[in-house]
Amino acid sequence: MSFIDAVDKVEVPRPPKHYTEPSFAEVLGVPIAYRRQGNGEAVVFLHGAGFTRRWVPMYEMLAQKFDFIAPESPGFGETPMPPWFRDFSDLSILYDQLFEQLGLDQIHLIGYSMGGWAAAEFASYYPRRLKSLSLVVPIGLRLEDNPGVDLFQLSPQQLMDRLFNDKKVMAEFMEGMDDFDEGIHLYSEMSAAARLIWAPRYNLALERRLQRLTCPTLVVRAEDDHLVPNQMAEKFATTLPNNRLVMIPETGHELCLERPAELARELADFIKEASK
Amino acid sequence: MNKLRFYGFNLMPYADIPPTSEFESAWVSLSNKHYDPQRGRQIYNEYIDQLVATEKYGFDGVGVNEHHANFYGTMPSPNIIAAMLVQRTNHIPIGVIGNAIPLHGNPLRVAEEIAMLDVISGGRIISGFVRGIGCEYFNNGVVPADSVERFNEAHDLIIKAWTDDGPFTWQGDHFYIPNVNPIPRPIQDPHPPIWIPGQGSLETIQFVAKHKYTYMMVFAPQWFTKLAFDGLREECQRLGYEAPKNMVNACVPTYVAETDKQAHREAKAHLSWVFNTGLKIPDQIFFPPGYMTTKSFRNFMGAMQKGHVKPQAQLSYDELLKDRYIIVGSPETVRNQIGEYCDDVGAGGLIMGGSSVGPMPNWMVMKNMQIFAEEIMPEFREADGKPDYLREEPPAPRTRTEFAAQYGPPPETARSIVTGSEELIEHRVAHLPEIIDSSM
Repeated sequence: MSFIDAVDKVEVPRPPKHYTEPSFAEVLGVPIAYRRQGNGEAVVFLHGAGFTRRWVPMYEMLAQKFDFIAPESPGFGETPMPPWFRDFSDLSILYDQLFEQLGLDQIHLIGYSMGGWAAAEFASYYPRRLKSLSLVVPIGLRLEDNPGVDLFQLSPQQLMDRLFNDKKVMAEFMEGMDDFDEGIHLYSEMSAAARLIWAPRYNLALERRLQRLTCPTLVVRAEDDHLVPNQMAEKFATTLPNNRLVMIPETGHELCLERPAELARELADFIKEASK
Repeated sequence: MNKLRFYGFNLMPYADIPPTSEFESAWVSLSNKHYDPQRGRQIYNEYIDQLVATEKYGFDGVGVNEHHANFYGTMPSPNIIAAMLVQRTNHIPIGVIGNAIPLHGNPLRVAEEIAMLDVISGGRIISGFVRGIGCEYFNNGVVPADSVERFNEAHDLIIKAWTDDGPFTWQGDHFYIPNVNPIPRPIQDPHPPIWIPGQGSLETIQFVAKHKYTYMMVFAPQWFTKLAFDGLREECQRLGYEAPKNMVNACVPTYVAETDKQAHREAKAHLSWVFNTGLKIPDQIFFPPGYMTTKSFRNFMGAMQKGHVKPQAQLSYDELLKDRYIIVGSPETVRNQIGEYCDDVGAGGLIMGGSSVGPMPNWMVMKNMQIFAEEIMPEFREADGKPDYLREEPPAPRTRTEFAAQYGPPPETARSIVTGSEELIEHRVAHLPEIIDSSM
């Protein structure tokens, strides 16, 4: 009998802008899609719950300075969802195995939004794999007085309005999003997100487990986040050991797309310092 | 056997809410501050009286169901209403159609409650199982993508709990129960009939055919109900049996009055409310991510885009009538349309005919019920006008005398040893001096 069944690749639509062909690594039976470019310190970026399949400007900026790797989690982009996939522990083990197969030993890990939660979970399980940890507008802790909006109750338009503060950038990245197949793919990705974060929308154990970290940590918040309360980043910053908190001004939750240069600079400066 | 069976029903809506222009969704997000418990008490009790009345009006059964956090149907615990009906009726079958079994922490609770109702009612319970609609996943911590798996497993657990001798251990993917041993067990053997309400999905049809359960369609246009019923009959054939007529029930809110015109006058606002207001639900709340598989979602959105189906909140009264979501008219019109409808789709039963629909005043519900009972139902009955259940042997004796005559004394008369004494005492006679005095 086989303990690990192979999962087939999936056909997904290609967004009109910034799409690039991914590479695949078969990890525990799952063909994990990833994009990798550049030289230097290994930097892994874990995406949020959307805008997958793209090599966006911020990635390119970081790839100029580092060996930059952006994998796609199960159910996102071109990585299929295996039937056994349940939670962040499954995800952490998949990523540990992926890094092994890519020949990565110690890495700098960046997580954005839901990927910030994923990165924090990974860090809590594998603290010795990390040279640094950067969380960009992460979620995953409990804000007792402010649960924030329920993103699953928002229509696609309401969600976009809360994600973007800069409506010009929004218009650029929304191009092609009204396509039928893209709409179905979005439902599929939101299903994968719901699998991970439907309930509860936090992991209380993280506050304790993250104390295992010995590497430098960075939290990046946006000045004016309309999707996740600003206090969430603040709480991560006080929870994480060895932390530096920075704020990117005049942007919201989608700061990767709205302020790529500023964000890439903050991340690069921090990673360079952590590499010394 | 009668040509058609009629099941009374009541969603128990609460309609004292702002107009639809002032809210996005009648489910999940519209605040419960709009629910006035004083008003709620009045209408709950009216609704219960209406459901009780179905027995003396001659219906074949009466149904209740489960919905949460909405104004369309304020019955989060259908078993509670069923318990009241058990106590206030004598012989009519009572359908809980159904309990939303994936939503709750321990499915055994449903096994226990339905068994209690079945025992107390003398085997009058029909047990329906549903996934709960998508909106309901916002009210608890169950991941929508787990809905189907949890439904299947909860179903298997409940059936096994009713049919296998306990105790046993349940080692499921979603539920682990060290000791399954529900008491009481249901009175119907092997268990109450199972009804599965569905929206026409292939997965549900295959499930019903496999288990030989009864399928009931929720609100849908006639063509779609027919498509689903035909699909079920084909699936049964594929499995090597003919689907009996009573295997499928249609759900068509029906209102009857003296004339066509009068019926429309009376029904229009209230029937429209059910669809236009009660079912005003944005897509992302109706179909939370993962509630449908990506494949089902693609099919559904494809049909929506081609205009094959329209969101129910956008259906006009004329469209509701034209597509036969509803039937409204004079006794003659309603008789004809029900006859045509049920012949066309091949239904053995009709749910929500002559029932309360939407925020109708009590007098209107009772008027509908009376005309329906006197002028519609006899058309589909044998000459004696009786519902089938009154011709069948009841699952339990109807009187204590019949019970004693049929069952005699219990197989094992209760006996016990009173602590401190050595004698085994028979409780039936334990109070007699020759027994109890020797232990004192």
